[in-house]
Amino acid sequence: MTPKSNFLQKHSLILVVYSLVFVLITVGSIYSERFLTLRNLTNVLRQAAYLGTAALGEMLVILTAGIDLSIGSLVKLSVLVSAILMDGNPDNVMMAVGLTLALGLGVGLLHAFLINELNLSPFVVTFASLFILQGISLTITTKPIGRSSKDFLLLYSQKFLEVPIIVYFFGLVTLMVAFLLNMTVFGKHVYAVGGNLTVAELSGIPVKKIRYGVYGICSLLAAVTGLLWLMRMGVGDPVIGKELELNAIIAVVIGGTSLFGGRGTVTGVIGGVLLLTFTDNLLVVLGVNQFVSGLVKGLIFVAAVALYKPSESFQRATA
Amino acid sequence: MKDDQLILEMNNISKSFSGVKALVDVSISCKKGSVHALVGENGAGKSTLIKILSGAQRPDKGTICFKGKNYESFSTREALSLGISVIYQELALVSEMNVVENIFLGREIRMTVGIIDSARMRQEANRLLEQMGIKINVNREVGELSVAYQQMVEISKALSRNADLIVMDEPSAILAGHELEQLFRIIQSLKDNGVTIIYISHRLEEVFRIADEVTVLKDGQHVVTRSMEGLSRAELVSAMVGRKLEEVFPQSANKAGECVLEANGISTDTILKKVNLKLHRGEIVGLAGMVGSGRTELARALFGADKLFSGEIKLMGERVEFSSPADAIRKKISLVPEDRKQQGLFTELPIKNNITLPILKKISNWFLLNRKMESALVESSKKQLSISMASEHLDVQFLSGGNQQKVVLAKWLHTKPEVIIMDEPTRGVDVGAKFEIYQLMRRLTEEGIAILMISSELPEILGLSDRILVMSEGRIVAELEHSEASEEKIIEYATMGESKAA
Repeated sequence: MTPKSNFLQKHSLILVVYSLVFVLITVGSIYSERFLTLRNLTNVLRQAAYLGTAALGEMLVILTAGIDLSIGSLVKLSVLVSAILMDGNPDNVMMAVGLTLALGLGVGLLHAFLINELNLSPFVVTFASLFILQGISLTITTKPIGRSSKDFLLLYSQKFLEVPIIVYFFGLVTLMVAFLLNMTVFGKHVYAVGGNLTVAELSGIPVKKIRYGVYGICSLLAAVTGLLWLMRMGVGDPVIGKELELNAIIAVVIGGTSLFGGRGTVTGVIGGVLLLTFTDNLLVVLGVNQFVSGLVKGLIFVAAVALYKPSESFQRATA
Repeated sequence: MKDDQLILEMNNISKSFSGVKALVDVSISCKKGSVHALVGENGAGKSTLIKILSGAQRPDKGTICFKGKNYESFSTREALSLGISVIYQELALVSEMNVVENIFLGREIRMTVGIIDSARMRQEANRLLEQMGIKINVNREVGELSVAYQQMVEISKALSRNADLIVMDEPSAILAGHELEQLFRIIQSLKDNGVTIIYISHRLEEVFRIADEVTVLKDGQHVVTRSMEGLSRAELVSAMVGRKLEEVFPQSANKAGECVLEANGISTDTILKKVNLKLHRGEIVGLAGMVGSGRTELARALFGADKLFSGEIKLMGERVEFSSPADAIRKKISLVPEDRKQQGLFTELPIKNNITLPILKKISNWFLLNRKMESALVESSKKQLSISMASEHLDVQFLSGGNQQKVVLAKWLHTKPEVIIMDEPTRGVDVGAKFEIYQLMRRLTEEGIAILMISSELPEILGLSDRILVMSEGRIVAELEHSEASEEKIIEYATMGESKAA
């Protein structure tokens, strides 16, 4: 097999994801004049930043063969905490942002601590965390609470060269995660831990540190997502973040990341995020009942997992 | 530097595992830049010795002197940094990562803090591979490479660590003929560069071909270390065997009846190549051969666990096709697997449930389990196999190895099998229980059951089998009658490589 055909074969499914995005855009532009406008497209990209920021964090965890089910709840808590801390006062912005990020990082490190030191499974730890964080949020409030400062709120609609700055921000996060995974020792070790834990341990890779890293970053990005939501809503709304973890996991998997760890690319995950976001947007543009959205996502998810499953012959060749 | 300088001396190493002596006072020394072969039957203690050398296990007694320094023991990481690399049969590679990443895993070349220097790593990887005379695209994922190339990536990994001593644990077991030549060439060039190699293999041809010295282990004891020069094959084989039959085996009634199971030229895409086999009522057929010779694969194929590539299986003269083990069980074939804890038992369930699992339908009225019938069955098993248990409600994990094996047997006997395939029936079973299992097997054959027994223990094969089939490299290379078989003959056949068998 030549390296080139090999490359195509390995990435063909990601190409499929991007082609589907293209198909959605085409369908959208046929059915609605409003769809293929710069305004709508950049809006969709801005929407994608919300799911995407969380999904990139989730991807890091999944690459180590772990999972984080708590990010939706953490986003919810982050929105509330940041809104309460900011309380409409511009002087509080730095403090609120700083503490919210610290909260996120702390939650992630705690997850890693429980997984590392108590030998609990990531599923159990973050599943419990999902309910605990949600419980805390709903104890704080069941109605919108707190207020964003005006400047902070304005960031949502601010544009640079006709493109919302949130899109640039998301681009930056994407580049940073890609850099981390491809150019740093940490990134290589993330793949190794998920690819073969025993080999990683025998090769002297600090597995526990890697876990602190990925869970920390994942929760940190969830807190960032929470701040982005505050920018958008202007208040701490406890409705935010519902089922976000599920959408993030779906995006990561559609993008070709293996739920068993060790395999996955940033390009793929971004493709998955775009596919989901455009699906949602198209359904809105077409005026389809929003409940259909879940159905469509579920179908895409199953199809993706089935497609990415290595064929039997491939498994035998590598066994 | 003198030529015969010793790089490694392991002195008076002893090691026991929960009372079982794996190594007793074993000493071995290797000259720098030589190839030292380590041979012995399965269970002779080779693996334990290597594990101690790699730092994976601590010796109970003895010292290791490496490059002139004495150590009581060391950790895996210390062993690596000292320059000792072990290449196991199960290669330690991350298959999703590429060649470069694997070679430098855990020791990446960095530009500055935490940022990898891919260009230099690639360059270095290419240099190492070139040094061994191999051309691989270093950007390819390791999982896509053939096993032979994967092994070479492992060797490069060892070289990148500046290993002075490389231990190869049965490297040839996973290689085909021409790949073996390449391995030999690499070993030669490593040798030329002053790297010492400990080569473990059960294929004596290879040992004669590349080793400078050989050490024979047997039952955890050192038999002999000598130069290969002037050593004959017969001498080596007798050094490996040299043991008397210790156990008493129940006599065969010699009443082989009609043919029950017949295999004609079956091949699988594992390693079986055109295997022919006949099993008759009332006989025990021993299947001998080294680990990896295809014995387990043959059992799997007969049991419907692996798909046939070609050939046919006949049961009582009728052609059958098993698409799954469930088919085989329905046709009265049972498999008592090698690893009973993983594949034969639910260790966390009570004895009772384990025994009656395959026959729940028979002991229930409609969907309701008949508890009385169940207990009666378990009681009859207990008597038939003399399983010692405090209560049928006890979890299987609390039973001894011998009793666990009896539970597995009891389970299958309730399905009234015609053929029982037993993979290592007495592994991890103490001597007393072994004898009981032998007697039981004999009794079953007297009732007309045919038994195919896979075993690595030659005395067991010799003592119990009416006929012995010897496998090597996926083929049956010899069929011996009980009377004509000897340990020497079996080893001779089992260790002959493709060259002679072909």
